Amino acid sequence: MIEATNIKVKIGKAAILHGVNFTAEPGKVTAIVGPNGSGKTTLLRAITDEIPWSGQIKINGKSIGDYKSWELAAVRGVLPQAATLAFPFTVIEVVRMGLTSGVHGNKDALATQALARVGLSGYEGRFFQELSGGEQQRAHLARVLCQVWEPVLNRQPRWLLLDEPVASLDIGHQLLIMRCLQDYAKRGGGVIAVMHDLNLTAMVADAVTIVARGRVVAHGGVQDVLNDQALSSAYDCTLRTNTPPISDMRYVLPQAAETAGA
Amino acid sequence: MTVADNLTVPIQREDRRVKARRAHIWLAALLAVTAILSLATGPTGTSLWGALGKLITGDELTTMERVVLWDIRLPRLILGMAVGASLAVSGAVMQGLFRNPLADPGLVGVGAGAGLGAIVAIVLGALLPIWLRDVVGNYLVSFSAFFGGWLSTIILYRVSTRRGQTSVATMLLAGIALGALAGAVSGILVYMADDQQLRDLTFWGMGSLAGATWAKVVVAVPLIGIAVVASFFLGQGLNGLALGEATAAHLGIPVQRLKSAAIMIVAGATGAAVAVSGGIGFIGIVVPHLLRLATGPDHDTLLPNAALLGATLLLGADIISRLIIAPAELPIGIVTAVLGSPVFLWILLRRRGLVEF
Repeated sequence: MIEATNIKVKIGKAAILHGVNFTAEPGKVTAIVGPNGSGKTTLLRAITDEIPWSGQIKINGKSIGDYKSWELAAVRGVLPQAATLAFPFTVIEVVRMGLTSGVHGNKDALATQALARVGLSGYEGRFFQELSGGEQQRAHLARVLCQVWEPVLNRQPRWLLLDEPVASLDIGHQLLIMRCLQDYAKRGGGVIAVMHDLNLTAMVADAVTIVARGRVVAHGGVQDVLNDQALSSAYDCTLRTNTPPISDMRYVLPQAAETAGA
Repeated sequence: MTVADNLTVPIQREDRRVKARRAHIWLAALLAVTAILSLATGPTGTSLWGALGKLITGDELTTMERVVLWDIRLPRLILGMAVGASLAVSGAVMQGLFRNPLADPGLVGVGAGAGLGAIVAIVLGALLPIWLRDVVGNYLVSFSAFFGGWLSTIILYRVSTRRGQTSVATMLLAGIALGALAGAVSGILVYMADDQQLRDLTFWGMGSLAGATWAKVVVAVPLIGIAVVASFFLGQGLNGLALGEATAAHLGIPVQRLKSAAIMIVAGATGAAVAVSGGIGFIGIVVPHLLRLATGPDHDTLLPNAALLGATLLLGADIISRLIIAPAELPIGIVTAVLGSPVFLWILLRRRGLVEF
């Protein structure tokens, strides 16, 4: 389990997170949603220890301060919103970079398998910089998958912490990646993903946290959290949710020319 | 982990790691040939082969042969290899650290500090007490240059490190300021210098291996050797750093320790190289770039290959510098600049897409 308690983050003098509590369980895809500037990426960056924060964060019962850097790398892989690359590495070389923290076995085969998982089979020898934005994002995801390939290691769940993993992907690859994340969770791993697409979130997430104005305003299952009131209040516009009778999959529709205050 | 052990999926393009490892052997062979040429070449006409023949048959070497081969060419060869390897490896490490193929060791302030150290020794050395001048003798400039290079790196490192985090961007900007300051102090000293000192200063700045002695080899080569070999352990970390500092940290790379180690290695290797050979440019930029084009940017193989090619190119430049206006010698920095600057320009134009070859 990942437990973040009373997380506060300040950037300069501006408070970005005001004492946020957040939990994510292994075996589930937990989505963090919220409007631009709400603090959802900041929350993820605090959990990945990328920015200064106060409070307490535990991964699998152990405070992240007690992990050595390589131990933490073996427990969780992180996909940032935008990852750059210096120098002309090929795709397979980038994916192999994920295999630094104590992965044994045939590394090339593992990297190739990870590329297949994200729909990039046959791209191994291409230069990374030649790829489109969406393909680069999938190649980075393959690198992160390699880092924590087995969802459970030594009976401890491993974690994928992803910041907008499908942001620049077409709908087909969005589904491919989300199913890949669902599969990871099904096999015992944990997934935390910052998401913008509420319908995709409703389709694949097992738990949803809504962050607005630096606070968690709702947390729970999709049916409990993705409702008209919580979403409209968080996004400051009128949104309607519905569940079609033939399935229990909720969907969200924005209401044109109407605002929450109207 | 064994899950993927049985998978055999072919990789389309030739694996560049194989190419890079093969390059280790080719470059080592090229270095050996260049080293032999360097030993065999010189304005005196002393023959390496004649001397080797005498050694095999047990004949005595002439004094001339002993002095030229043992006291002049061999220390020069060893120092040349060490300096070339050190400059090329330092360049590759700096480029990895700054994530920029045009970075060079000068960015950590070694060059400016070493230059100032050398100028201080040349201009103010005469003011030292005679007993001290007797102790340090001809090595005052080298010691002072090394000390200056090291000191300026330490200052730069301290300035750009806050709360245990070194900012390479701050380092770059502070390096410009420190370089300008060192330049100003150097300017004052140059203004004070007499004609002979000005001549010494000019030649120091052009770089040369002509002053190679066994004493310099004994002092500089172990330091350079340790720094160069230590750099080989940074390969995986520098590869991760290509993804940015945050992502490298997520991969488990101890980023701050990596940065500190890289800066210290570059300061030690370049400081020692500049101290014994003066200012030699372009090796640090040209060698890593050529290798990246040929065998890819993987630092695990790039760093050893850079050491081999850097050593080879510097020995080659030294042979040219000895022969081109024999019996006089052209400073080696001029040779590397003449050969290196067109390549540097080509790198720039190629990066901007202005040339396609």
